[in-house]
Amino acid sequence: MPTAAPALDEVFKALSDPTRLAVVERLGAGPASTTELARPFAMALPSFTQHLDVLERTGLVSSTKQGRIRVYRLTPAPLEQAVGWLATQREHWTRRLDQLDHYLTRMEEPR
Amino acid sequence: MTTPTFDPTLDLVLERVVPVTPAQVWAAWTQPEHLTKWFTPAPYTTPEAEVDLRPGGIFRTVICSPEGDVVNEGSGCVLVVEPERRFTWTGALGPGYRPNDFSQGGFPFTAEITMEPVDGGTKYTARVSHAIAEHNTQHAEMGFLDGWGAALDQLVAYMQSL
Repeated sequence: MPTAAPALDEVFKALSDPTRLAVVERLGAGPASTTELARPFAMALPSFTQHLDVLERTGLVSSTKQGRIRVYRLTPAPLEQAVGWLATQREHWTRRLDQLDHYLTRMEEPR
Repeated sequence: MTTPTFDPTLDLVLERVVPVTPAQVWAAWTQPEHLTKWFTPAPYTTPEAEVDLRPGGIFRTVICSPEGDVVNEGSGCVLVVEPERRFTWTGALGPGYRPNDFSQGGFPFTAEITMEPVDGGTKYTARVSHAIAEHNTQHAEMGFLDGWGAALDQLVAYMQSL
């Protein structure tokens, strides 16, 4: 399990796969075992567990073992980090659009 | 029971002549203590298996990842028991013929294993039939032939080691 916050690019990379996105969505509804998570996917098990490994390495999910059952749950921090980054980008571009808006309005005034 | 006509859009088949007797193939498929030794291609394992050898009986396996986490557990239903000739079970039904729940994903299939004595051992045929072509394709893309083939290699090696 990573101790420091994962790099943002690693988070987006981990999310850039339909299977891993679906796992994140499913875990948003609550913890689930490997078997439960694998069920919706018609995929060889080794490939599927590799997807879980990617998510866990990035810190998007964490797991604990109860006997032979491994249970996965969502870890919010990396997702919050990603949301924070997107929010910052939105602020920047809306500010620029506002400035453009003001500029265009001023251009029209002399007429 | 007769075998339904093979439909390549709905059925997958693994057919091979293996250097073991029909009795050995039969034992490997129907005795839990044997199933746990070969059923899942390494490094995945089958730590638990349960077979109630009669139509309607349970056919259950637990599959673990190399890390020892359960990744699949399913209770199927035995359909046809013809010793040393044919063994058919399905994941579509559970024990007692009660239909299994696929609302959370996955797809049902029926597996028919036939064994026929030939020169050099046994003509082994594993036919897996599906409800719709999409499931058949999914199963093929999951690596059916490689997976069942690797498991068959393990079956032969294990039965020969006894």
